[in-house]
Order: sequence, then C-alpha cells, then structure tokens
Amino acid sequence: MDRRKLPFTIITIVVLVLLGITVQNVMNSWSLERELMGPNIEAAPDAVTPETPHTTEYRTFPKIGSRVAIWIVAQLHLMFAAFVLAVPMFALIIEYIGYRNGDKKYDKLAYEFTKLLSVSFSFTATLGAMLTFMLMILYPKLTNYLIGIFSWTFFPYVLLFFAEAGFLYSYYYGWGKFSPKVHLALGLGLNIVGTAIMFIANAWLTFMNSPAGINEAGQLVSMWDAINNFTWMPINIHRILANVAFGGSIAAAYGAFKFLGATTEEERAHYDWMGYIGNFVAISAFLTLPFAGYWLAKEIYAYSQSLGIVLMGGTFSWLFIIQAVLIGNLFLAANYYLWVSMERIDGAERFKKFTKYLLAAIAVCFLVWATPHSLVASVEEARSMGGSHHPMLGVLGVMSAKNTAVNIMILTTYISFLLYRRGNKEPTVSWSRTGNLIQFSIFAVVISFVIFLGVYGYFVDTATRVGLSVPQVLSVLFAMVSVTAIDVFMYKNAKFKGEMRWGQIPARAQYALFFLAITFTWLMGLMGYVRAGLRQHWHVYGVMRDTSVDAFTPTLGFAAGVVSVTVMIFFTFIAIVFWLAGLTGKKDWEEDKQLETSSGLLAEEA
Amino acid sequence: MRHVIGIFVFTILTTMFYYYVGQMVPQKETYPPEELTISKDLTTDQMVEIGEQIVGGKGTCLTCHTIGESGAHRFPDLGGIGNTAASRVQGQSAVEYLAESIYDPNAYIVDGYVAGMPAMHRAPTNLNDDEILTIIAYLQSLGGTPDVTMSSSHSFTGQNPAAAAGAAPVAAAPSMSENLDGAGLYEKYLCNTCHSVDTDAPLIGPSLYDAGNRMSTADIYESIVDPDAKLADGYPGGVMIATLNGMNFYDSVSPKDLKKLVDYIASKKGN
Amino acid sequence: MDLFGISFLGLNVVPIILVIAGLVALRMFFNLNTLAWMAAWWVGLYLMLSNGITVPLPGSIVGMFMGIITLALLVYLTTSGEDLEATKDFMVKFFTDSRYSPALLAFLVLLPSLVAYNVYTGMTQQPQAPVFGRTIHPPPPTDITFKGKKIDLVNDDNPYRILKETDPDAFAAHVANGRKVYYQNCVNCHGDDMGGNGMFAHAFDPIPASFKDPTTIAMLQESYLFWRIAKGAPGLPDESTPWSSAMPAWEKFLSEEDIWDVIIFLYEYTGYEPRAKEELH
Repeated sequence: MDRRKLPFTIITIVVLVLLGITVQNVMNSWSLERELMGPNIEAAPDAVTPETPHTTEYRTFPKIGSRVAIWIVAQLHLMFAAFVLAVPMFALIIEYIGYRNGDKKYDKLAYEFTKLLSVSFSFTATLGAMLTFMLMILYPKLTNYLIGIFSWTFFPYVLLFFAEAGFLYSYYYGWGKFSPKVHLALGLGLNIVGTAIMFIANAWLTFMNSPAGINEAGQLVSMWDAINNFTWMPINIHRILANVAFGGSIAAAYGAFKFLGATTEEERAHYDWMGYIGNFVAISAFLTLPFAGYWLAKEIYAYSQSLGIVLMGGTFSWLFIIQAVLIGNLFLAANYYLWVSMERIDGAERFKKFTKYLLAAIAVCFLVWATPHSLVASVEEARSMGGSHHPMLGVLGVMSAKNTAVNIMILTTYISFLLYRRGNKEPTVSWSRTGNLIQFSIFAVVISFVIFLGVYGYFVDTATRVGLSVPQVLSVLFAMVSVTAIDVFMYKNAKFKGEMRWGQIPARAQYALFFLAITFTWLMGLMGYVRAGLRQHWHVYGVMRDTSVDAFTPTLGFAAGVVSVTVMIFFTFIAIVFWLAGLTGKKDWEEDKQLETSSGLLAEEA
Repeated sequence: MRHVIGIFVFTILTTMFYYYVGQMVPQKETYPPEELTISKDLTTDQMVEIGEQIVGGKGTCLTCHTIGESGAHRFPDLGGIGNTAASRVQGQSAVEYLAESIYDPNAYIVDGYVAGMPAMHRAPTNLNDDEILTIIAYLQSLGGTPDVTMSSSHSFTGQNPAAAAGAAPVAAAPSMSENLDGAGLYEKYLCNTCHSVDTDAPLIGPSLYDAGNRMSTADIYESIVDPDAKLADGYPGGVMIATLNGMNFYDSVSPKDLKKLVDYIASKKGN
Repeated sequence: MDLFGISFLGLNVVPIILVIAGLVALRMFFNLNTLAWMAAWWVGLYLMLSNGITVPLPGSIVGMFMGIITLALLVYLTTSGEDLEATKDFMVKFFTDSRYSPALLAFLVLLPSLVAYNVYTGMTQQPQAPVFGRTIHPPPPTDITFKGKKIDLVNDDNPYRILKETDPDAFAAHVANGRKVYYQNCVNCHGDDMGGNGMFAHAFDPIPASFKDPTTIAMLQESYLFWRIAKGAPGLPDESTPWSSAMPAWEKFLSEEDIWDVIIFLYEYTGYEPRAKEELH
C-alpha cells in the first residue's frame, strides 16, 4: 500500500465507524420515539388573528421562532461584547509592560491585539442594535416593562457607548501618535467606560433573574435596589473574569491562525509568542472562574432556594455535567499546550517525566467532576445499586468532591505553568535545594489540606460544608502566591541551559489553542443559556410570566444545538474579523500588481 | 490555504463533539404549570378550551348530558348544539338561547324531555358569568363556529366575576370537608343528583334506597372508588368516574369522609 | 469459593489485581510502543471499571468515564513529539508492511464487524423500559397547603425539634409516636431498617428511598421531608418527570404532628442530622 494513501484509509475507517454509530443512534431514537409518542399527530395550524398594536405581548419570528432568534442574536452580541471589553484590558497591561521595560515587542503585540478590536466593535454595536429591535418587535410587553423599570439608565448607556467609540478609535488610530502616557490614559479610559457599560447592561439582565426594588404588583420602588439586586455584583465579577479568559483565548486563536499561515521564521516566532501570551491571559483568568462561579451560585441560592435547586439539582443539573466535560477539556487542553510547547525549550526535557503524573491527576479530577449526582440507570442497574445512588459514585457526585477536584486541577495546571517557566533555567542561588523543598512541601501540605477538607465535608452539616470551600480556595491561592514568590527569587539571575526557540512549536499545539477558543466559546454559550433559562417560564422571575408558546424549557440537546449553531456563526464572524485584521499587514494592491507584472515579465524574459 | 481548511474542519468537529455531548445527557422538556385563568382578552380558541374543562369538570354538565351519543337520553345530547342553537327558538340568537339554557334552564324545554336542570350560576356549581361565556363558546364549537367573545352581552346576569377575588382559576379544588355527616357529604359531593336514596325511582344512576341490602360495605367502597368494576344492568360505564373526576372527588375526599359516605349508603336498607 | 466475589472497600480484589498484574507483565516482558501501551491501559481501565467495583457501575457512567479516559490517553499519546512520530511510523508500517498484512486484514474485517455487531445488538434488544435520568431531589414549592393550613417550606421548621434540647421527655414521646407511625405505614416499602428494601419495594421503579443512604435525608431539610411525605408522588413537580414514584400522599391519612414525629424518628433512627436552614439575607 502506498504511504500516501494512509490518511484515506484511516478516514474511511473512521467514517465507517461514525456511520455505524450514527445509524444505530438514529434508529434507536426513532424506535424510542415511536414507543413514546405513538403515531405522529400533526397539530392543526393556528388560526391567524389580527393583532392590535398596543396590546400585543408577542410577535413571532418566522421559521425558528422568537425565542431561538433572540437567543442566537443575544448570545452573539454578548460574545462580541465580551471580546471587545476584554481585549483592551490585557492590551493595556501588555502595553504598560512594554512601556516599563522598553521592549518594543510588547508594544507591537498590544497593537496587534487592538487591531482585532475595531471591526469587532462594529459587530458588537450592530448585533446590539439588532437585539434591541428584536426585543421591541418580538417581546413588546417585556421590553416595555423593563424600560419602565430602568427608564433613565438607558441614556448613560448610550452616552457611554459614544465615549467607548471615542476612546477605542483614538486608542487604536492614535497608536504611537501620542506620548506613551497619554496613550495609556486613553486605554485606561477605554477600559473604565467599557466596564461601566457592562455593569449597566448587567443590571437589566440580573434584574430579570433576581428582581428587587419593586413592590408586589411589580411597580418600581427603588431603582438602586433594582440595579443592585442579588446577582448583579456576582455577575459583574464573573463576567469580567470570563470575558478576559474568553478574549485571551480568541486572541490566542488569532495568534495560532497567523502562525499556521506564516511564511517566515520571524513571523512564526512572533505569532507563537502571541498565542502563548493570549493563552497565558486566558488560563490565568480561567483559574479564578470556579471561585467566582461558586459565589454566583451561592447568591442565587440566597435569593431563592427554589431557583438554586432548579439550577443545581433540578432541570439543569445535567447541564452541569456538560459543563464539567467542557471545563475538564479546558484544563486538559491548557496543560496539553504547555506540555507540547515545552518541546521548543531546550532543557525542558528533564520535566517530561512529570507529564504523565500531572495528566493522571487531571484525568482523575475530571472523572470526579463529571460524575453526576443522579445517575442514569436502568431498573436492574438501580436494583443492584440498592437505590438511586451508587455507593461509591454517590460520594463523588456531591459538591465536596467536586470542589476538591477543581481545586486540584487548578493546582496541577499551575504546576504545569511552573515547569514551563523553569524550562530552560537553572537556579544559581545557593539555597535552591531548600527552596525546592519548601515549594514541594507547600504543595504537599495544601493538596492534603484540600483533600482533607473535601473528606471532612461529608461529616458536617451543609452550612459548614458550604463554608469549607472558602479555606479550600484560600489555601490554593496561598500555594500559588507563595510558590510564585519563592520562584521569582530563586530564578533571579538564573543560568540559561538552553534556548527558547519561539516559532518551533508543533502545529498541534496551535490546534490546541483553537480547541481552547472553541471550548471557551461553547462554554460561554452554554452558561449564557443556563443563566437565562434558569427563569424557566418567567420573563422576570416571579413577577412577569412568559405566556408565549416558548414558555417551556427545551431539552438540553436542543439547547446544545442552538449553542453549536451560535458558535459556528460566531466563528464565521471571527474569521471575517481575522481576515480584515490581517489586511492591514498586506502590501498595497498597486505595489502587489507591479510586483506581479514585473515577475511575470521576468518569467517571460526567462 | 491548507491551514484555513484545517481550522475550518477542526472548528466544526469540535463543535459537533460538544453537540454530541449535549445529546448524551437525559433529554427533558419542562412545561410551565397549566394555569388557565379567565381574563377579558381570551381568544376564541382559549375560551373553547376553558369551556371544555368547565363542562367536563366543575360545571358537572356531563353528569347528565352526553355529547354526540345517540339513543335514549334523560337529558338532551349536546352534539351539534352549535348548529341547532340559533334555530331552536324564533328570534333568539344562539348566544342568547344558550345563555338562557344555562341561567334559566326550564324556560324552554326541548321536546320530549322533562324539566330538571338546575340553574348553573347558583349552588352547587356556582359558575360565574365569565365561566358561562366560555361554556357558551365551547357549546357553539360543537357542530358550529363560536361567535361569542368575552365581551358578548346577553340578557342574563348571575355572579359578577369581578366581585370574586381576582380571576378564578378553572380547576378550583373543593374545600376540605367541614365535618359533615354522611347525609351532608352525600349532598356535598352531589351524589343525590344521580342517585336517589328516598325512593326506588332511578335518576341518572340506579337508586340507592336499598343499597344496604344489595351490597356489602366493601361493594359500596368498590363502587365509589372504581365505579366501572361492576355495573348495574342497563347503565353505561364511565359516566360516574368521569363525573367524580370532574369534581376532583378522588383528590379531595378524605378517607374518613369516604367511610362516612359508605356508612351512610350502607344504612339505606329500603323502607 | 467464588474468587471474583472477594470484595474489599467496595472493590473486587481479584479483577483489579489481575489487571494490574497484566499491565506490569506487559511492561516487563514486552517492549510495546506507546500506541499499544495506551491501548493496553484503555482495556485495563475498562476492565477495572466494569468488573472491579463490587456494586457494578451503570453502563452510562462506564461509557462516560471511558470517554474521558480516551481523551486523556489521546493527550498522552500526542504530547511528546517522539511518541507521536513513532506512532505514525507504526501506523504507516501497519498499513504498508507485509509483515502486518494478516493483522491489517483482521483489523479491517474486525472493526466494521464490531460496528455491525453493535448496531445489530442495539436493534435486536428485547423491549426494555426506557432509561431515564431522574432528579432525586426535585425542587420543592415555597409553601404547601396542608389540610387547609399553609406550611411555609422555606422558613418553617419541625416544631418539635426544639424539644430535644428543652424537654427530652416530650421529645422521646414524639420519637415514640414517630416510631409507631413509621412501623404502621412506612415500613412496607422503606423497610424495617430504613434501607428502602421493605417487602413491597421490589415491585417499584424507582425503588423506595433508602434513608441509610447519606445522600437522602442527611442532605435535606425537615420541611422538605414534610413536603415529600404530605404530598407524595402526586405532589411532585411537573418538571423532571416521569417520576412513576409510588409514594402515597400521606396528608390524607396522617396528622401534621404525626408527620413531624415520623421525620424526627427517621433522623433519630439513622443518626443523621437534618440539613440546616441556610442563612438568608
């Protein structure tokens, strides 16, 4: 067999396997549907009733229905908004680093990140306008109510948008045209305005989840209370962190995209580095997200126990299993990227032997985290388990175990970073052995402490157990901070064992960056769905009921479908953004044309 | 260009993978709790839907009336009433005629039947005006097209729904028993509408005046809890269970009350 | 004696030892390439998950775990460039080298047949009750009406629990009454040791709750139990259906005091503490 045919053979086999699995699944679902539904009864078409302009509560969107339409548009708007808000944050920080240490390459990188912004900003605004119009057209009653509650907050929102545009364009076009301090101040203004915009919009949407500041009849009593409702601050914090993680991952994907298309060594080195920085930003923000998410969930419980149970134990409990798969994948891919990229560091081979242990730790934690609390089991399986809970898995399905698992995953990822950082360095300080020993003991103590608290959680009542997550988090933070501090001093004036060969990273590491970006995006879509879907058949929880045809909560499979479609559309748009951002680096058409003709002439002459 | 295709395929594959994960978890749709309340802006379809519920439930209409059954009836069959209502009485519109039949049932008696229907806006059914409008809509939908709306007017008034607190949910469960004796319960649950206890003349259902002789206590229990288990000769199945379900009997009767009721029936030994 | 029945800490010792021994033997006596080594791990872990645990894991869980393990093994296989190259080389050789022809043939025949077999068994299975994921602790309503009296499930608590501290004798009387109520009404399904294995239990799907299970009453507040006892299966919310639960609505048979007493008895008997009310602000 010809060597070149190998991919085809493999693809054929894979396709065969997939085809078989698909056929089986489709047939299974058919037969199940037949059993459950009986013969298919077509619903009679609804009679058309003429609408009256002022009393209409809902209008329908053709084909896909109002809910799906508004869902997709809102999600796309949020994704772009997140990107536009996040990129200036780390662009500014990178620019500042460049300003402090005088290294031009940081400044160039910050500019490159900012380049992605201007097109994305227009996308965000357009999608925002589309969302607004669709809300007014499709959900007039709800929109009216929200406008009534938040009346004047819409003006600062719009005005801030102006300011945002001003800062953004002066920041982007003024690159290198102002004194660095003025330029940094513009960037700071951009960030402050962006954050303020998000805070205002968050007030509207958190009000729908946890309304406050209104009386029994739903009339406004205190606007500040309506704004500062239970979930407002947690969502603000959660979104800032998530935006940075998401923005970083998209920026890293841009780096990967440019790297894969790069033609020169220099470009490859640059974009390899860009991807690395983007990923570093994404993962650093990501490591803090579980804590923020925990706080948010706790506030939701505090606002309404039944909302909390719907979230974690009821309708949406399986959504968190999907979330666990996504986050487990994020941890796997983030570590994978670091391990693979260590191959371009001379001297990092000595850490290769740790990879499998780190991987094993992540895999075990992943398994624990993805273990559902309520199992899907047939009657016989349930009988042999002696109940709905498996004696071993039941232990893993609860929060104590999951908190422990996620904390250990965070520490493991941190260790991967640490090894990467040390890659080609050899400490020269005399106390390096002691330092290593101390770092090792910190890890050992913290990990044992985290596991101890996790196990201890089974023996105390719930209130105490919820409280235990705080020392877990704090000890993990303590480990990361103290080990970093020791490391900084230990590796001061370190001896270089070898080179950092930027640009010589295998393509699969770049695909890992794409994987991270896609997973982050999908995760964002999924969690956006649960935040909104949590209200179930309420527009404003407990205040305004959803009486439209879409008041039901769809299956998770359906939600996964909508999220997938949204992610695809988003990446199509992002491809456009990448392409447009790439245009600035291209040669002028005239020049190009001349070059072409001259080379053509040369060829003719030859 | 190759890397663009690679990234494209990779993006689709990754997304499809997560889509697949989404299909692997239990799939369930959650519907909001049914809460049909009567308001002034109901569409005709909604009126028909609510009216149907009242006819089969709280209105207890189907205790006596049938819909679309031929044969000898004790009360008129309602099948096709939407068609015939307009032409029953000269000069009376369909809505007017149906309203009269509900508020003042004995004003016009269909040929071949005897008077006997109680006014529906009075106790025990206590339907309010809006509920009766929905019933009219439902009746008109039987064999015809409803032209009644929530703002239709006719010359009858009973209970104004606005006087009752807010919009009344359709399926209001009967209140808990307030320490009635067997005879009181017999009336409370409207057993007397269909089963006489004082004479041997059957109403809709067989007379129970000698039930204590014919049946053991266990039989009586069974006849209430599962009326179709044994049917008296000549009586159709399904009527009593539908009626009792319609009144929410099984959900509201307490074991104690049920025992009282059975004891009461068992005490009827015919004399 | 059934060797495979030896169980320690909920694990079947023999299969686990066999798998570990097998992996060690492979390591010592064969010079496997990474791909084969990963395949060995995959099979070994699969055998451990499906046979190594005394109470077998549900198929859905084994499937999910193996999915994650597959991902992790793939990560391992592709992390190191050398391993990846070696694997690629091996695969090319496998498809091109005549040395591997029989294996290749077997592989090309076996894989599609495996898929075909899977499809076949999937389609010819005996009809089975569909497998549903159940939410074991569905969200309670905020309040319920019990015999005309409103009971606030969020704020109300067991009114007799306080007696445990203030008046142990009266508390003991409530426990005794709860015991009586339990053994008159609940024992048939929930069992005389509260293990959810009463004499009727075997006819039900889902099977009755075992109160010994640390994930049932130990994780719930008393007001939650009150709701489940008073309203039974008919009171379960519409979402997360089908329940098919056989729990009767005990409000028709028991007084409010009886229900609170039996709840006290459940906790006293099992030794669990009810979940504390959370601080609401």
